Amino acid sequence: MKVALAQISPHLGDVKKNLALHLEYIEKAKKKRTDLLIFPELSLTGYTLQDLVPDVAITPGDSKELAFLLKAAGKTAVVLGFIEERAEEKGIFYNSVAYLFDGKILHIHRKVFLPTFGMFDETRFFAQGKNFFTFPTPNGRTGMMICRDFLSYGAGYLLFAGGAEIIIAISAAPGRGLSGEEGFGSSRMWELMGEMLSRFSNVFCIYCNRVGFEDGKPFAGGSFIFNPFGKLLCLASYTESQMLIQDIDMEESREARKLWPYKRDDKPEIILESLKRIVGKYEY
Amino acid sequence: MNINGPFVEKILKLFIREEMKKSHFSRGIIGLSGGLDSSVCTALAAGALGPKNLTALILPYGKVSQKDVEDAELLVRALGIKSKTIDISPMINIYYERYPFKNNVAIGNKMARERMSILYDFSVREQALVLGTSNKSELLIGYGTIHGDMACAINPLGDLYKTQVRMLARHIGIPKQILNKKPSAGLWKGQTDEGEIGLTYKELDEILFLRVDNKKSREEILAKGYSEKSVDHILKLIKKSSFKRNLPPIPKISTRTVGHDFLYPRDWE
Repeated sequence: MKVALAQISPHLGDVKKNLALHLEYIEKAKKKRTDLLIFPELSLTGYTLQDLVPDVAITPGDSKELAFLLKAAGKTAVVLGFIEERAEEKGIFYNSVAYLFDGKILHIHRKVFLPTFGMFDETRFFAQGKNFFTFPTPNGRTGMMICRDFLSYGAGYLLFAGGAEIIIAISAAPGRGLSGEEGFGSSRMWELMGEMLSRFSNVFCIYCNRVGFEDGKPFAGGSFIFNPFGKLLCLASYTESQMLIQDIDMEESREARKLWPYKRDDKPEIILESLKRIVGKYEY
Repeated sequence: MNINGPFVEKILKLFIREEMKKSHFSRGIIGLSGGLDSSVCTALAAGALGPKNLTALILPYGKVSQKDVEDAELLVRALGIKSKTIDISPMINIYYERYPFKNNVAIGNKMARERMSILYDFSVREQALVLGTSNKSELLIGYGTIHGDMACAINPLGDLYKTQVRMLARHIGIPKQILNKKPSAGLWKGQTDEGEIGLTYKELDEILFLRVDNKKSREEILAKGYSEKSVDHILKLIKKSSFKRNLPPIPKISTRTVGHDFLYPRDWE
């Protein structure tokens, strides 16, 4: 199957412009006969929204933007990031990712790990998601994460335990840390997790980050795909907008599991019981 | 503290180009003293925007820094940018003739603000955004004039220590006579930054790097062998200059207040 990573620079706070940008990339991807097109975190809104959050939120099922995108995407699976205000939870806002296919939203993941330290301030503006589910797609069983979620190996484990064959992480990760090397020090952190997760979960690990600046913060691109053996298949620029296209062979997931039975030998029930005992000792 | 010259050059040029575009400007304007920081920033902006889209204003006080003016003119020619030289001494002199004040620091600040005032006037004349040239070392210890040389629309060098600006200058090929001169704010004859701050940039930057980038405590820095005098001096300067890095406080008395909880990004499109 053909995967396209839209490493874009969204317009901050302008959903209309971003919708046009998405439609442009969907057209491009369709021309290349792409099966799965992935946009970065908050691709429909930009990242540093602060008090703009309520103004740019959309409600799945009642959003003309999503209706446009569902129609344009058709049989190309499209993954994108947006601010979600659920119909049954008005006034509560999530940093969400949706998987669109064939006119339907197959799954929505709400960001669980909301970074709030240093330059990040997400719990001030977002409600916390509560789940890591996998779901079936025509392109294999899939699990999704958003940015900081991906840096939690617990979260990665849950998608592995849930039977994921593809793990998709969308991101708006600023680059930071200089050295004599090309690129930001922080880029290596994402690549390391991608390599680890793909290698030890025997999954395709697909990371789509954004580029561009917001209030001086440089988003560090470097989108990538690792195959289920932990091999880097492609790596995007750390600075430039681009659409990265990669053919992947889903058969490799089976091949990797045959050689390395991590999934067969997993012990979720022991992990669950052990976690219960650890959490049970918390002092409240 | 080490940097990758080509990578930093690329990132800073992208930053200049993108922030300009978001502000709906295609042209930039910069105060060029002939010193290291403004020379590096001028060269980066000329590369990012194209030489035709950058104007350098050379703003000496009479003949006090003639050598710097010559260096600035040399850079202007090398980059192929537009420039204008305006002597600020008539404006400064007429003020102090009327309101005499013998205080070098105050006069220096007045000059920095005169330059700022001219830059912002030309910003309108030329429809050009003002580029700042303050580096991280200066910002952290407050070695700059508030509403003077610290005033700008975007500040490309603000996250590079002086030591790193020098590394970048070497990479982008800043002329030797600029690279090798003693850093000076040019406030009075013979003034040097290091003399005025009371530390070498090497020591200052090393201590700042430990404190700011690596979050080391005073004791941890002292344990690395730096003198108590230097460390305490720097910590005091950081604290004393905090007001220069923040907007003026507003008393919060309503439910939503500018500067407190009215939070919108600057790059709002």
